[in-house]
Amino acid sequence: MFGPRLDGDGGISLVPPTLEHFKLHIQWIVQPEVGRFWGPRFGELTEERQEERFKKTGEDDTQIMWTIAYQDEPVGWTGIFDIDWVRRDGESGIIIGRHDLFGRGIASEAVRLRTGFAWREMRLHRVHNWIALANRGSRRANEKSGYKQMGVYRKSFFRSGEWYDEWLGEAYPHTFPDPD
Amino acid sequence: MALGGTIRGKKTTLRLPAEADLETFNRWMADMRARRAHRVWHEPAMPATWKERFKEIAKEKMDVLWSIDVDGRLVGFATGSFWSVTELGFTLRQFLIDPDEWRKGHGFDAALALHRYLFDYLNLPRVGVEVRADNVAALRIAERLGYVEYARGHEVYYRDGAYVDEIQLFMGKDAWNERWGATEREYASPLAADATR
Repeated sequence: MFGPRLDGDGGISLVPPTLEHFKLHIQWIVQPEVGRFWGPRFGELTEERQEERFKKTGEDDTQIMWTIAYQDEPVGWTGIFDIDWVRRDGESGIIIGRHDLFGRGIASEAVRLRTGFAWREMRLHRVHNWIALANRGSRRANEKSGYKQMGVYRKSFFRSGEWYDEWLGEAYPHTFPDPD
Repeated sequence: MALGGTIRGKKTTLRLPAEADLETFNRWMADMRARRAHRVWHEPAMPATWKERFKEIAKEKMDVLWSIDVDGRLVGFATGSFWSVTELGFTLRQFLIDPDEWRKGHGFDAALALHRYLFDYLNLPRVGVEVRADNVAALRIAERLGYVEYARGHEVYYRDGAYVDEIQLFMGKDAWNERWGATEREYASPLAADATR
């Protein structure tokens, strides 16, 4: 399913994705700067496949997804995936697709909006994630919204001559710092 | 989920699942002893639903389902997922032994055989599993095999009026080789030169 519009600070919003946003994903994830801690930069990256993914994501009630908008321009996506509605637990993820906008606090605000929604509107009990330990920006963005380390997975993936560890985090309503 | 082929243990055999197994899978999913120990694979359902699930399972490319037999009798099942074409590894999702067959060593025997297949036959570099923190039998099997804990999720499962943690475990091929490499081989000896024609 797609999440509702959530307006945050600094011109940052989470908005329901459109098909045009999904088509942008292709050009984002094939960039070396964006894909470094993500995937292999190949796949079925066609507009037809993105149409299928768009439809499937919208119909799937085990995930909630947003487009991240900065000054009303789509710049990435975030969401909570594999939601187990009995355990009220899900796995969160985020991509800032516009690498020219890294370091402006967009991810931090997007994670804050997403995490607050998880507790206040979805009544989830827990959200967890995996982040490359070296991806300090993403890890810090999640920590600011209450994610705590639950473990480290050593040598999770290999990129450009070195192994990368992954940081495993988890968050709960009581670890969320924003009381609003 | 693909359907897995024969892997022989000393007492147990992981084998190709069949539609005839589904009624038993359904019974296990409705057994509170099994549900207490494991995450539910699928909720109990009518036979037609299980048949649909079975058709879907067979089509999946990266997930595998095995049935587990002892002396030709169905005693459990296992499921797991291969990671990707660029990240080699396997996550064991479900490993269920019939609660009426617990404490007979079937779990360890089948788990050892499955891991031998993963490391010695498929040559995977690593395998992972998630276990409820109070599932002592599963943790004991994992420890004997050579798994080590790398993370602990807090208050992940709720049942019997309380939360229980989840332990995430990992085993690499080096650990497998060190502990089992000298004795556990998928084929007993190197292939003789004239073994095939």
